[in-house]
Amino acid sequence: MRVQWTMALRYLRGRKLRTALTTLAVVFGVAVLFGMNALLPTMLQAFRQTVLATTGKVDLVFTSVTDGPFSAERLEAVWGVEGIAEVTGSLRRNVLLPPDLAGQAGLNAVTLVGVEPEVAARLRHYPLKVGRFLTADDSDAMVISKGLAEKLALSTGDTLTLPSATGTTDFEIVGILDVPSIPGVEEVFVPLPAAQRLWGMPGQINVIEAVVKPGVDRDKAEQAVLAALGEMFKAEPPEMGEELIASLQMGEIAFALFGVMALAIGAFIILNTFRTVVVERRHDLGMLRAIGASRRVVVGLILVESLLQGVLGTAIGLTAGYGLAWLLLLTVRSVMQHYLRMEAAAPIITLPNLLTATILGLGATLAGGLWPALSAGRVTPLEALRPVAPGAYERAAKKRGIAGAVLVVLAALALLTGNFNMAALGTLLFLTGLVLMAPALVGPLSRLFGRLLALIFAREGRLAEGNLVRQPNRAAVTASALMVGLAMILAIAGMVTSIFDGFMSYIDHSLRADFLLMPASLVLGGGNVGAGPELVEEVRAVPGVTGATTLRLGTAAVDGLTLQVIGVDPETYPRLSGLAFRYGDPEEAFVALERERAMIVNGVFAAQRRVRLGDVLTLQTPAGKRAYRVVGVGSDYLNAKLVTAYISQANLERDFYQTADLLVMVEAAEDADTAAIQARLEEIVRKYPSFVLTEWRSFREEQERVFGQSVYLLNVIGVMFALPSLLAMVNTLTISVMERTREIGVLRAVGSTRRQIRRIVAAESLLLGALGTAFGILAGLWLGYVLVTGMNVSGFAIPYYFPYTGILVAVAVGLLIGVGAAVLPARRAARLDIVAALRYE
Amino acid sequence: MTLIQTENLTKIYGSGETAVVALDRVNMALKQGEFLAVMGPSGCGKSTLLHLVGGLDRPTEGRVLLDGRDLTALRDDDLAALRRRRIGFVFQFYNLIPVLTALENAALPLLLDGVKPAEAHRRAAEWLQRLGMGDRLHYRPDQLSGGQQQRVAIARALVSEPDLILADEPTGNLDSRAGDEIAALLRRISSEWGRTILLVTHDPRVAAHADRILFMKDGRIIDETRLAGTGEGEAQTLRERMEAL
Ligand SMILES: Nc1ncnc2c1ncn2[C@@H]1O[C@H](COP(=O)(O)OP(=O)(O)O)[C@@H](O)[C@H]1O
Ligand SMILES: [Mg+2]
Repeated sequence: MRVQWTMALRYLRGRKLRTALTTLAVVFGVAVLFGMNALLPTMLQAFRQTVLATTGKVDLVFTSVTDGPFSAERLEAVWGVEGIAEVTGSLRRNVLLPPDLAGQAGLNAVTLVGVEPEVAARLRHYPLKVGRFLTADDSDAMVISKGLAEKLALSTGDTLTLPSATGTTDFEIVGILDVPSIPGVEEVFVPLPAAQRLWGMPGQINVIEAVVKPGVDRDKAEQAVLAALGEMFKAEPPEMGEELIASLQMGEIAFALFGVMALAIGAFIILNTFRTVVVERRHDLGMLRAIGASRRVVVGLILVESLLQGVLGTAIGLTAGYGLAWLLLLTVRSVMQHYLRMEAAAPIITLPNLLTATILGLGATLAGGLWPALSAGRVTPLEALRPVAPGAYERAAKKRGIAGAVLVVLAALALLTGNFNMAALGTLLFLTGLVLMAPALVGPLSRLFGRLLALIFAREGRLAEGNLVRQPNRAAVTASALMVGLAMILAIAGMVTSIFDGFMSYIDHSLRADFLLMPASLVLGGGNVGAGPELVEEVRAVPGVTGATTLRLGTAAVDGLTLQVIGVDPETYPRLSGLAFRYGDPEEAFVALERERAMIVNGVFAAQRRVRLGDVLTLQTPAGKRAYRVVGVGSDYLNAKLVTAYISQANLERDFYQTADLLVMVEAAEDADTAAIQARLEEIVRKYPSFVLTEWRSFREEQERVFGQSVYLLNVIGVMFALPSLLAMVNTLTISVMERTREIGVLRAVGSTRRQIRRIVAAESLLLGALGTAFGILAGLWLGYVLVTGMNVSGFAIPYYFPYTGILVAVAVGLLIGVGAAVLPARRAARLDIVAALRYE
Repeated sequence: MTLIQTENLTKIYGSGETAVVALDRVNMALKQGEFLAVMGPSGCGKSTLLHLVGGLDRPTEGRVLLDGRDLTALRDDDLAALRRRRIGFVFQFYNLIPVLTALENAALPLLLDGVKPAEAHRRAAEWLQRLGMGDRLHYRPDQLSGGQQQRVAIARALVSEPDLILADEPTGNLDSRAGDEIAALLRRISSEWGRTILLVTHDPRVAAHADRILFMKDGRIIDETRLAGTGEGEAQTLRERMEAL
């Protein structure tokens, strides 16, 4: 009915501030939900594009445990496995570029991949910028990335000459791919026979890729192929960086959780606001009923009002969310470019995300408006003519309290499962449970806090306590809004503290060196070009350098799981770098590394394979099966996310035949001239184009700056969460004052001063603040713990730090809100005209 | 012809020790076109009677018949529809919707009844015109004086052309001049437009405009009188009879 819309609009306009604040609550929830879900897909996409540029629908990848070549006839064995739809072999090895080209490209080698043209094009996506992909008829044709083409000034039809077994081979460039280049992992594609000719390896390949038929279980198929291939083969993880994707997806869940919680606050605020509205407008509503408005019309009026706010809030929220996504993207962009060489484009808006945010935004407002609307429908016409009856004593619903307790127990069970999705769901259960239990807790808690309050507010405190106990449901709604707000602050603080402290302690423990020499893309693992022993010798000879240690890399398999094996020097490594140990004694561990086949495994490995100290694991190494004993669990900064084991470089040489240095850590004398050392090191590193020199201090500062930015941003989010809670409190107190107009009038008439009236309201507000804070801290600790352990499950080994500061902040914010919320209602109560207040009834 | 009739109408508030008998087996009738005033001291049950007759509340016992139809048997929605179409209320505190203009307030019963806004506004404007509010159509209640607000409330009560107007102390909140004007207006509504009016008041000067007067005490009708015309003389007699109660 049009008149409802007219009235709803006018009422909203009549209370601009309240409308704005209430709408803001919806805006915020929708913005977080929408913004985060627009941002994360972008990051995932950037990641996929970069790291997995050419990963198509390949499901399985196999290599020999030695990473060496084998006969292409082994493909037959894979074809024979049931459930396999497609199989192809390729030969991929690094090719040194001739010196002139190396200088131009800024690379000393590229990865040349020999593929079966037709099959490869079916299995993977090669987006072409110009030209065409390889065909079976090609002999010495080549497809390169646009980045390499630019650097070498090559276009289709040009020739690239590479050293070969027979001297040199001329390749004709037939196509240029539209994929981003990753320094150190530059791939060029040629037909398989051409690659075999180049290296003089006829009939040889070194990678098998397969696709499973639809509906076939990937892991089962992998095991079946491994069985068919024999024990000299291992399975590669299907997508490099899968763990990083997993943690981004976890972030997606975490932020969705934040968004839903923000909306829950929004719903609480709508609920509270409209409760105020219904009380305020009792006369108007009764009047409408008296002149013939049906219940439905009155319910509709309140619902229309909340819907209007929902529509407005959701519309602004979607816009703000998109802005928020951009803001966050701009903040993390530099980090992504610097460390991951990733280009994130723009936030992505998907229809499902848009719909989810919209539906949840409108849904939350309508849900929040529903109860007050129904109670508005129960306003009888006579209430238009009769003054407000004094609020009767409410009773806290027992059944609801019990249901709440059950939910909390379920939530605890969900947390115990150790599954992040379950735990996230459990968090929602936990919050719902607390909200349901809240009314029952209001009584005991307000008596407890009331006693404290009595110390400051002697008589007023008693009155305030009485008012809360009289209406536990309303007190509980307000406390719940504050609870959710504070819980968010605390959870965010807990998570940030844990991540920050965790990262910083990794850096402290694992990168104590003053300079680092490493391939630019080391963080991504794989595809690196190492250096011979000359590099570290040259570095050690630099005046002022007191020590240098190196990391070397090998690959092993444990029960089909690929393992990154890092070779360290047990003597120099602990002094210059070392690991953040979770289990085991560092000193004993490094001694064991020196003496026997022993290894230190990182947290991700330990978690995935449930490895314990003292376990002996059989590693499939290029030299065969070797038994290694686990002597410690610990991680360094760079390898926290990959399944990794640390062994001695002597063992790495013996069992993995690896002697190339991939990372050099340099320690300078306390009083050395850092600038001079840096200059000298830069000179050295120029001879190793894939290496980059990083000065440690600036590295740490960069990390701290980036973290500082996110901490700042999260704090802003936290404050935004606190604001709506304040609004909820102001609303409740206002209703409370309005409903007690007559009581206040009587108090004034019998001689209470304005100051005393103000103190009564302030005491009530403080009491509510204390309740909400108590609930909020409980919920916040829970949520923070879930989020941090969730990250651990997904591979970020971050210890949980108890957020002491967060609790202090929450208490401070809670009390501040308690005092702040009282200001307006207290003034209103104190200013009441005594005569008018008495006539009110 | 009888428009409204009550049969043993009884209303008891509360129960047990604290029960208050607000109306005690009241029997009364109101003819089509009649202007009836109910007088009595504060708390004697005048408002309660009015509320029950208007279907705003349900009696503890007894019936209210409107055109022979029992109101107490109607469902809530039907009562609402009845109030929209057949009954107009005027209250002491006007009870206008603060966010709507005079015109919109007056048109409200029609709008609630689904009449097209243009039509509803036209009819409301007509009534406001008749009541001397033609130049204040677009004022909000807070921009009008008490007497003007009460005129808007009366226009609202009349806009749906109801059979019955119920007025509860319509002059109780006004100064005596504005009160007289409103009382005269009610008289005109009865004589000129033939509406049936049930007026509750304890002001003899207002009651003096009615055709007939019922006196109430302690929830019962104890006396009644018929008036010939209006004037200061009648008011004086009424004042004396009130004081005798
Ligand atoms: N909602 C109610 N609850 C309890 N008692 C009521 C209520 N409404 C009216 N009363 C009582 O009923 C009696 C009649 O009230 P009312 O009809 O308002 O009188 P009047 O309008 O003549 O002043 C009074 O004693 C009053 O206190
Ligand atoms: Mg009365």
